[in-house]
Amino acid sequence: MKRVAYYKGCLASLSAKELDSSTQALAPKVGLELVELETVTCCGAGDIHEAEPDYYLHLNARILAYAEAAGCDELLTVCNVCTLNLRQANWQLKNDDGLRERVSNNLERVGVPPYSGNVEVRHLLWEIAEGEGYELLKQSAHKGLKGLKIAPFYGCQILRPSKLLGFEDPDRPWSLERIIEACGGTAIDYPAKIKCCGFPIIQAREETALGELIQPIEQAKEAGADAIVTPCPLCHLSLDAWQSKLKESTGKDFAMPILHLSQLVGVAAGLEEAELKFKRHVVPVTPVLEKLEV
Amino acid sequence: MHTDLAPAPGSTTIEIALKIWRYDAVTGDKELKRYEVEAPDWVTLLDVLDIIKDKHDGTLAYRKSCRMMICGSCGMRMDGAAVLACKTRMYDIAKSGHVPVIAPMGNLPVRKDLVVDMEPFWNKIRRMKPWLDPGYEEPPEKEWRVSQEKMNVIHKEALCIMCGCCVSECNSMESDPEFFGPAALAKGMRFVGDARDQANVSRLEDYNDEHGIWDCTRCYFCNERCPKGVDPRDAIAKLGAESIKEGIEHDMGAKHANWFVTSARTTGWLRETELVPKTQGIVEAIRQTKFALNLAKHGKVPSPVPPHVAERVNESRLLYSLVKEQGRDGALGIVQGEHALGRIEFTEQAGLKANDPEVQPVVEPPPAEG
Repeated sequence: MKRVAYYKGCLASLSAKELDSSTQALAPKVGLELVELETVTCCGAGDIHEAEPDYYLHLNARILAYAEAAGCDELLTVCNVCTLNLRQANWQLKNDDGLRERVSNNLERVGVPPYSGNVEVRHLLWEIAEGEGYELLKQSAHKGLKGLKIAPFYGCQILRPSKLLGFEDPDRPWSLERIIEACGGTAIDYPAKIKCCGFPIIQAREETALGELIQPIEQAKEAGADAIVTPCPLCHLSLDAWQSKLKESTGKDFAMPILHLSQLVGVAAGLEEAELKFKRHVVPVTPVLEKLEV
Repeated sequence: MHTDLAPAPGSTTIEIALKIWRYDAVTGDKELKRYEVEAPDWVTLLDVLDIIKDKHDGTLAYRKSCRMMICGSCGMRMDGAAVLACKTRMYDIAKSGHVPVIAPMGNLPVRKDLVVDMEPFWNKIRRMKPWLDPGYEEPPEKEWRVSQEKMNVIHKEALCIMCGCCVSECNSMESDPEFFGPAALAKGMRFVGDARDQANVSRLEDYNDEHGIWDCTRCYFCNERCPKGVDPRDAIAKLGAESIKEGIEHDMGAKHANWFVTSARTTGWLRETELVPKTQGIVEAIRQTKFALNLAKHGKVPSPVPPHVAERVNESRLLYSLVKEQGRDGALGIVQGEHALGRIEFTEQAGLKANDPEVQPVVEPPPAEG
């Protein structure tokens, strides 16, 4: 078992609890022992980076410091936005001694342990797409997906900027496809799989956001996908909850089920509804489950 | 022209195949045409286009000038990703057997083949008033000297060569063609952040337009594509930070961003349910009731009472006060991290793949001082 600090972020703590419960249930099956951090806060979601960037850096340093204090050299994320925000701050703190010293001193002044720069931030996707996690995933996914057609949707901030993320080629990613195939599904290819879901501006600029949101859903539908899978709860929220608004504006009812990565693998690994919590989705997942029952 | 691209001593020639989208705006004819050429092993995509035009097909249209990554003329798409043709070496691609598809940049009207109409691009750049407004009519008697530290704020933005690669894949602009876009906004930051410019507040008010700063969807395609390391998305974040520092907070985007700060200071976690009224206002939030009720049925609208509070949240409150005292407000908070970010280009860890033909070494900006 690999012992990692688990950073669930805002959404998995509240509106996307299904992401948290399915991740917790899946973790031991893919060789991860999750250490929960009770003291941490929001990473700022890119918004604090834009509103109060120095505060953003300190909040993220505090999260990293508590992971380090828990004796973990890895912080596991389940959200693209958390991943980028934490990795960006971590890179800056690790590679600028002066900056790290100032931030670390500030942390100590308010009672937080100092951060010495020894934590790596990694997304669950990366843990199960290669290496030991991938081998365990293949063993765990015994129930399989019976050839279901799954459209991978990466979202932005797990691919770009690649200099901060760097796990795979941001224009030709492969990790989700590999996982879908390992679980016995068929990966669907479509151009919008690396594009934006519109979530960051869905409240401030709904029309612009919906113009982005429709692309992956429409293309996945046309390619015959049974469901879309995403490693990001923000993408999940816009793809799932805002789909009804696409129906209002375009008259098209896509009825496209959206799965969290941990749910997709969870289904293949035989997790139960109590952990998967599909009832919390706005677009029903029933058609997918019915296909699996047959 | 370069009909005699002789191999340098010791170098060899390679076979290169390309597919190019040919397009004629007058007739509307469109064709994906394959070309095969023999070329020295050091050629760039631009060299290959020159060979095609000189030796195979004189009707091919594309833009070029300096051939050395300075003029910004030869932006185009290779396999869907905007690149400077003069910066893209062909050796590894040709050796891998891959036949890349060359197409014009996106988000701009195509005139012929690989030539796009840059007028919409220039209109947005002009909209930023891209000239220094020093706030005086007559120049002072002596020159004014600006410290390196003050110029570091706009070091990256000043590297822009206005090639349009960032605009090509801008996801917001695909959805809202009027979005000012990454190149124009980075240009705006180049002046807002310039210590000699006295018009920063009126600029920020202007850039807070419906199609301005807060219309950016943070897809980061611009940072990914920029061949000069400008990182336009970071420039847009700096404009957001400067707006909030100057109290220009009327846009829903600014209110949205501010609510995250409030949440972190009070409960530590995002107060999700209050985000809609705090961003859009009570009236709009009420208009959204039907939508919200549907979400609530599925547990997507968590009750704000009792709030979800992080343990030891007082630390995040105290940190906020401490940070405010230290005064690294606005763009400075982002600029302070650029010294470390500039180092990434030279490491293996951060996504540079030695065998990735699309990744080229980038000239590192001088280290920031102060």
